[in-house]
Amino acid sequence: MKPQTKTVAVLRYRPEQDTEPFWQEYEVPFADDTSVLAALNYIKDELDGTLSFRWSCRQAICGSCGFMIAGKPRLACKSFLREFPGKVTVEALAHFPIERDLVVVMDDFIAKIERVKPWLMPREERSPDAGEYRQTPQEMSLYEQFAGCINCGLCYAACPQVGLNPDFLGPAAIALLHRYNLDSRDGGSEARKQLINAEVGVFNCTAVGYCSAVCPKMVDPANAVNVNKMNSARDYFFRFLPRPGNKGDCQ
Amino acid sequence: MKVFKADVVIVGAGGAGLRAAIAAAEADAAQTVALVSKVYPMRSHTCAAEGGAAGVVDARDSLDAHFHDTVAGGDWLCEQDVVDGFVAECTRELTRIEHWGCPWSRREDGRVNVRPFGGMKNERTWFAADRTGMHLLHTLFQTSLKYPAIRRFDEYFLIDLIVVDGQARGVLVVEIASGEYTLIEAGAVILATGGAARVFRENTNGGIVTGDGMAVAYRHGVALRDMEFVQYHPTCMPGTGLLFTEACRGEGGLLMNRDGYRYLQDYGLGPVQDAPRNKFMELGPRDRLSQAFWHEMQKGRTIDGPYGPVVHLDLRHLGAARLAERLPQICELAREFMGIDPVSAPIPVRPAVHYTMGGISAGAEGDTALGGLFAVGECSSVGIHGANRLGSNSLSELLVFGRRAGEAATRAAREATPAPAGTLLALAEAAARPSQALLRGTGGERIAELRRAMAQTMEDGCGIYRTEASMQTTCDTLAGLRERFTRVAVTDRSTVWNSEWFAAIELGYQLEVAEAMAHSALERRESRGAHQRLDFEARDDARFLRHSLALRSATGAPRITYQDVKITRLPPAVRAYGAAGLAAEAGEKA
Amino acid sequence: MNARRPYIRPMTRWYLRDPFFIEYMAHEGTAVFVWLFALELLAGLVCLALGEAAWNGFLAWLGWLPARLANGLILLMLLYHGITWFLILPRTIPPVRVGHARVPGWVLSGAGMLAMVAASAALAVGAAWLAQGGL
Repeated sequence: MKPQTKTVAVLRYRPEQDTEPFWQEYEVPFADDTSVLAALNYIKDELDGTLSFRWSCRQAICGSCGFMIAGKPRLACKSFLREFPGKVTVEALAHFPIERDLVVVMDDFIAKIERVKPWLMPREERSPDAGEYRQTPQEMSLYEQFAGCINCGLCYAACPQVGLNPDFLGPAAIALLHRYNLDSRDGGSEARKQLINAEVGVFNCTAVGYCSAVCPKMVDPANAVNVNKMNSARDYFFRFLPRPGNKGDCQ
Repeated sequence: MKVFKADVVIVGAGGAGLRAAIAAAEADAAQTVALVSKVYPMRSHTCAAEGGAAGVVDARDSLDAHFHDTVAGGDWLCEQDVVDGFVAECTRELTRIEHWGCPWSRREDGRVNVRPFGGMKNERTWFAADRTGMHLLHTLFQTSLKYPAIRRFDEYFLIDLIVVDGQARGVLVVEIASGEYTLIEAGAVILATGGAARVFRENTNGGIVTGDGMAVAYRHGVALRDMEFVQYHPTCMPGTGLLFTEACRGEGGLLMNRDGYRYLQDYGLGPVQDAPRNKFMELGPRDRLSQAFWHEMQKGRTIDGPYGPVVHLDLRHLGAARLAERLPQICELAREFMGIDPVSAPIPVRPAVHYTMGGISAGAEGDTALGGLFAVGECSSVGIHGANRLGSNSLSELLVFGRRAGEAATRAAREATPAPAGTLLALAEAAARPSQALLRGTGGERIAELRRAMAQTMEDGCGIYRTEASMQTTCDTLAGLRERFTRVAVTDRSTVWNSEWFAAIELGYQLEVAEAMAHSALERRESRGAHQRLDFEARDDARFLRHSLALRSATGAPRITYQDVKITRLPPAVRAYGAAGLAAEAGEKA
Repeated sequence: MNARRPYIRPMTRWYLRDPFFIEYMAHEGTAVFVWLFALELLAGLVCLALGEAAWNGFLAWLGWLPARLANGLILLMLLYHGITWFLILPRTIPPVRVGHARVPGWVLSGAGMLAMVAASAALAVGAAWLAQGGL
């Protein structure tokens, strides 16, 4: 088997040297199972030690290696060189500031995750010695997909509204908020409501839907955002009426 | 240099570090808990744990059985008093994170479900599909956000521990984004930096698992205990080493050789069972399964693949629906990374290094020989895993010992007296120098080449089966690599996100941890658990029912000493599984 | 002496960056034709209210070739808008369940499109019936 190579073009940016990003090309040997992450590691180890990028688990669960690969937000560990005819381009995730090379500034993203109060506010307090809260598989299925988010940030790179208005909470944070609101053990919807109804909440979303298309974990954050638009509108128009309090009442 | 004053500083924000931080914040809401991690907390390698966490809930099960399985699974090299305390607390801790929102998989009636796991006599492994670690980690991270006492330092890299008069007084860290040093002063330090399996070539671990905390403690004279015990997980992806959880077998997956024969029956795990049976066949412990693979390979009964010999993990009989419900991530990995659909074809697998049983020698509260220093999680050796860890004990460990260490460190910080003014800063400035020197080095040794040589020699000398000669070669090679490391080249001289610089520092950590492993292995002239020698095939309780302690010497090889094992109520016996295990158990009772 | 200097990429012409965005803009753009058609209907209603002469004028306008071409274009654009609207529908409504099983998105989209076709057919049949002197 003769070794094949592929051109991998990486958008470089070194703040101490460069005024703006530029493309740099590398020739990388590859086989059928060479991931883009493996290619980047090859570049770092063998060709150019100055290339910086985040990575860790290699199996699409740690959420570190999200980049724009051939122009689309993807995880490098589960993108393979074989998928791309011709050369492959790798660029830092769109809509995030570039810290350096493929590393983006995540501070704002993390702050948004923190702001949605993503912790269980129990409907009823219970001591660990009293055993678990009962939750049927059906009750769990209401929120399970939204709990699968790995905070990789691909959905922010897919959302033009995030790019246009950096204050927008964004898909992942709203999906996380939705995850706790839908949990039968949680009673914190009221506490989270103010944020979702705020100007930076759900109504920044224009239903592009690309966030869900690029999600590597099938979380479908667009659904979380849009269902909350309905809830939010209902809260606004029927705010004087008593609300049904059951989880999954929007079935 | 920036200075931050905390009460407790925790390095590592995976499962253990987060649990410790929450415990410390709950123990004293008025204190400042600095939580340092070289990655954002949800990137920590806890996320990659798949199968589950052990805690007794079933009416047929008992703490005694969990204790017995753990001690026998560890080939009696466990601290039995610590194991007793551990098994007693697992269920409460697992329930607690259920209360924090962890989406444990459920039974129809809404109670938490449990699945069988290797080496466990009863079903006691709590699971969240096959993404248990990810859910556990995210639940802990998200819960930690409600404690104002916790001040996170995300993407700060550990450079050194600051020690004054035999007391840990803080840590020196670098902000990865800016390259700036920060001294974090604290009354107590908890290391929760994870394992070190990246020192081996084929491994299941993420790139961040480089033994940083182990190496830093070791450099300050704290012993690394039982480092020769490195776990090979039997079912991993050839080439990449990515993990196919033990839950594959817990759910009924079968291991077959080239003839379609369930070869485990030939290695003391039979007879063949039609349905999954605890402690039989595929539900044997990881060390035995990886060793069986090695023997099959020697006999030429494995299958040749592009990345060397493999066996087949067959899940087809489970059916598409059950695979989608119980093992979704496994299906995703097999389909996307190997182009194999587990519904219709067996998965080629081989063993890869997965876990370091040993670590920073620590007591039941994570306390170490160095005052004010605690260690918890995979970087520690609190003594529950012995010579071989049972799958699903380590996630529970993070919670049980994370909480204990967080509380103990809070008490220690309260009792700590302030260090003399200026001392800490002067020490920190001195501690920064070696890392600064790396950025000025003019040597020509390439990081990737040294790392590759290290990983290869660890695999060659300290693999599933070991010999005196192979380990000696590894020790010699490592000594040479350490010498070459003094001339390591960092081509990137910038300060913003200089990942090459951190890779060099990590390599320095890895080389020291690898040396501790190889020398501990060389000195243990017996076979026990995950440490199997072809030249000393039997367990030797008379000489080696003892923990090894690797102590750093300023130059040259680590010094290996030994420490007695605490045996309270389960005297060493034959470690057997399958029908032989039942017979041995009957013998013990008689 | 912090050397951090994050680079923020401009959002100019973001809508051309990805085929998905182009499709999205096309979907949003076709909403203009929904508006045009609504205007036309409104104009028809007003003409009806103004009396026979106005109504005949409206009918004449409808028969005018450029207007017929414009209405043909509007129909095409509305079809595109409708189809793409139903394609995004599953992402915008709460999950639909039958028993415990979740209805897949393509079923919801398909059902929506079928409903659209059925409603259009019913309208066409009804209109034809009225035109032939029904009622």
